[in-house]
Amino acid sequence: MNIDAFLICALVTVGTYYYVFHLPGRLYLGPEKTRLGYLRERKEAVYENLRDLNFEYSAGKMPEADYVSLKSNLQDEAATLLAEIARLEAKAQQTPDRKR
Amino acid sequence: MHKIVNMNKLNPTLRRTLQCVILCSAVFAFLGAGDPASRFSDIGHQLMCICGCHQVLLECNHVGCPDSDSMRNELMASITRGDSDSLIQQAFVQKYGPTVLAAPTTTGFNRTAWIVPFVALALGLVSVSAVVRAWKNRPAPAIADGIKPPRGVELEQFREQARKDTEL
Amino acid sequence: MAAIGSFALLLALGLSVYSFLAGIFALIRQHDESSPRIGETARRAGVMIFAAVLLASLVLVVSAFQDNFTIAYIFHHSNRALSLPYKFAVLWSGQEGSLLFWSLLLAAYGFVLRLRYKTDPRLFAYASVVIAGVQIFFLLLVNFAANPFGLLGGPLRADGSGLNPLLQYPEMVIHPPMLYLGYVGFTVPFAFALGALIMRYPGEKWIHITRRWTMVTWGFLTCGIFLGAHWAYSVLGWGGYWGWDPVENASLMPWLVGTAFLHSVMMQEKRGMLKVWNMWLVFATFWLSILGTFLTRSGIISSVHAFAQSSIGDWFAWFLAISLAVFVYFFFKNKEHLRSEHKLESLVSRESSFLFNNLLFMLACFIVLWGTWFPKISELVQGNKVTVGPPFYNRVNIPVALLLLVLTAVGPLLAWRKTSLESLKRNFFGPTMGAIAVAIFLMATPPSWGSPFGLRPWQDMTYFYSLMAISLCALVTFTVASEFYRGGKVISNKTGQGMFASMVQLTHRNTRRYGGYIVHFGVVVVIIGIAGAAFNQDKEQEMGYGDKATIGPYTLVCRSYTQDDKANYASEWAIMEVYKNGHMIDTLTPERRFYKASQQTTTLPAVRSTLADDLYLVYEGQNPDTQKPILKFHLNPLVMWIWMGVWIILAGTILALIPNAQAAVRVPAPRLVEHAAPVATGD
Repeated sequence: MNIDAFLICALVTVGTYYYVFHLPGRLYLGPEKTRLGYLRERKEAVYENLRDLNFEYSAGKMPEADYVSLKSNLQDEAATLLAEIARLEAKAQQTPDRKR
Repeated sequence: MHKIVNMNKLNPTLRRTLQCVILCSAVFAFLGAGDPASRFSDIGHQLMCICGCHQVLLECNHVGCPDSDSMRNELMASITRGDSDSLIQQAFVQKYGPTVLAAPTTTGFNRTAWIVPFVALALGLVSVSAVVRAWKNRPAPAIADGIKPPRGVELEQFREQARKDTEL
Repeated sequence: MAAIGSFALLLALGLSVYSFLAGIFALIRQHDESSPRIGETARRAGVMIFAAVLLASLVLVVSAFQDNFTIAYIFHHSNRALSLPYKFAVLWSGQEGSLLFWSLLLAAYGFVLRLRYKTDPRLFAYASVVIAGVQIFFLLLVNFAANPFGLLGGPLRADGSGLNPLLQYPEMVIHPPMLYLGYVGFTVPFAFALGALIMRYPGEKWIHITRRWTMVTWGFLTCGIFLGAHWAYSVLGWGGYWGWDPVENASLMPWLVGTAFLHSVMMQEKRGMLKVWNMWLVFATFWLSILGTFLTRSGIISSVHAFAQSSIGDWFAWFLAISLAVFVYFFFKNKEHLRSEHKLESLVSRESSFLFNNLLFMLACFIVLWGTWFPKISELVQGNKVTVGPPFYNRVNIPVALLLLVLTAVGPLLAWRKTSLESLKRNFFGPTMGAIAVAIFLMATPPSWGSPFGLRPWQDMTYFYSLMAISLCALVTFTVASEFYRGGKVISNKTGQGMFASMVQLTHRNTRRYGGYIVHFGVVVVIIGIAGAAFNQDKEQEMGYGDKATIGPYTLVCRSYTQDDKANYASEWAIMEVYKNGHMIDTLTPERRFYKASQQTTTLPAVRSTLADDLYLVYEGQNPDTQKPILKFHLNPLVMWIWMGVWIILAGTILALIPNAQAAVRVPAPRLVEHAAPVATGD
């Protein structure tokens, strides 16, 4: 191995070592994943399904009877999640800031 | 309740049509092969070149192939002699070994090559049907680790909220 | 130079091992004070793997540019006269280089993933560990089993032995990278899935996070497969684009399973169903990508694609076994986490159409796997090898493909949960009538109109299949069009915009769905192109000066034939004039080359592509008696549709990657923590 190659290898090693082990004081750890957050994700999924359903109905893809029953099912699901979210929010004594 | 499609009602007609289609196509498939040129092309596409190029005999094009020309001539000779398809294939297998056939035969162990895909399809259909039936009959799972749905006024209130939130 | 490369590879291996072990340590002891900092060093080490592997790859490419034949790999895969793009392609034109390239791509994916860790640091930490594990394997390979920087013993050689001439074609520069990006990319969704399983990730958000990765990867793989087909078509000169060779099959298998995953993952996202199945699908996709490499490089199954056969087969076998064991262990450990959240409500629903879609994709994959392995099985059972060639696959896979096409048409029109007869009638009447009309039109029109007309399905099985395929393609097209039209009408009624603007807005509101429809349409165009193969014609003829040949609507006249000698190769070619309806429309020059360094001959077909057909001429050689060239003429209808369809598929994929107009997901505010407390999940 010649001296140039050796120098390059040494430089790369030092650079790598510095980057890997020289950490800043503060680290990003991300938001905490809570049950509330999880339920909100679920609610969003159900809402998305409801919006899709509404859209498909207005596009004329299904008869009214189908629409009413599917919508009712999805609304029940959403209501269950909303009730649980409301309960947890109240328990955490947070202000219900998500009401629109 | 809703009218759900009853597949059984559709079945007899559908089945009969399908049977007709399959029968017709099978019959005409056999009628197709006739003149020497199309027989040459048909059989030639069922044989492989044995020089190691892994190509179908009539598609082997690599320059200076030591085998494909003579194989094609042999094939043409057998067709002009009027040999039957199976006789020609047998002659090739005897001369070049079983790898000369581009697809497994339908005899002996080689039959499994053809049967297994259909067995897999059948098994797949049976298991998907079983899964569908099992999933239809199982109790509705609880939403998000067993939350109880709200009742009465509360239910209506939240349903209304969901409706408002998702209006287009 | 070689020393720097070898060193960089060792460094990369060290970093991978550190990233893997430190990452695991930080995740296991996540309640310790120090573990967030250890986890951060693991992440950073992961980032640096990319730098180290990139350095090694650069060294290899620079060595190729400098004609450094002291390195054995460069000697075997390059020579001085080789043009520059192919010298760059040296990185993937041989066994050792392509394994290094594989490591590089994996490191690149890992690099992007580790930089984007803020999306969900804990999940990304798990995924990063999984990727580091896979990375260790590939770096072990290039360090100890197939080192691209091995030196050539003996005296210094004046020139290299050259690149395989079949690989000297422009697509060689992009086909392997695309294919590898696809293969390697499936490691990312797999890493997320395994990570989510190990950490018992609550909810389906991880799918949302990996969605784009999966689609990008799928796009690359699709692109790679079709580039390979195009390469075969333009270079190999047998007039076809797909030969069911084991290497082609190896790329098709992960594609089929990956496509199944792209579909069934929607069930999980929307309905919380099929969680177990999706976990297995994403694992299978990853596993099959590796298995494909194993199959073709271990020499277990013979193939046209000549990779040097070596002991790396054993390494792959071990890796396949270990990854299977790890996955199975965590699956059984945490499988109760994957409970379904809904029951299936009706047999006629979007859900069940997805189930059948998955069944058919898996079946197609199984058939390919079965056909690829059957020669080996036959050897074990009855003691002799048999060939499983195109006739087998065509006969068995075409019906499956047609069924899939039926589902492509039917699926999107079924409602989630359940679909009533009334709704079926409403959605299918129009498209079905349209498809029947197309079928009747194809049968009734006179054959003289052009290739796919005058289709008589009773004459030949292939005609029957073609007619079915094209009619079903029409059905899919009509259903896709009706989806766009109805959706557009809703928006147009609401906003008063024109129809086109409404459709654009519609697509922008749900890019994945409408991008997906465009992909379906692209698939339809590809299948029409494939269906054209039923009408292929070919002819072989010796052509002297002024000789004429006729194929289909074309008449060809040989204007001249000649020879040339270049630094890299010697060539001979014929100049052919193409006439149609008495007018000269083109001049084609099919060619044959003799590459000096590698002492190999190849043909370069001349192709004239139009929407209706491809005229494909191959210079087969000279008749030694008459010294006249022998040419083969192919007339391949509709082939151009295949390549157009691929562009449409890619456009649809890119469209699906664009974020929706309304951002539906709100992200909670980030939290900055100093020497933070451990992050807990759950309540």
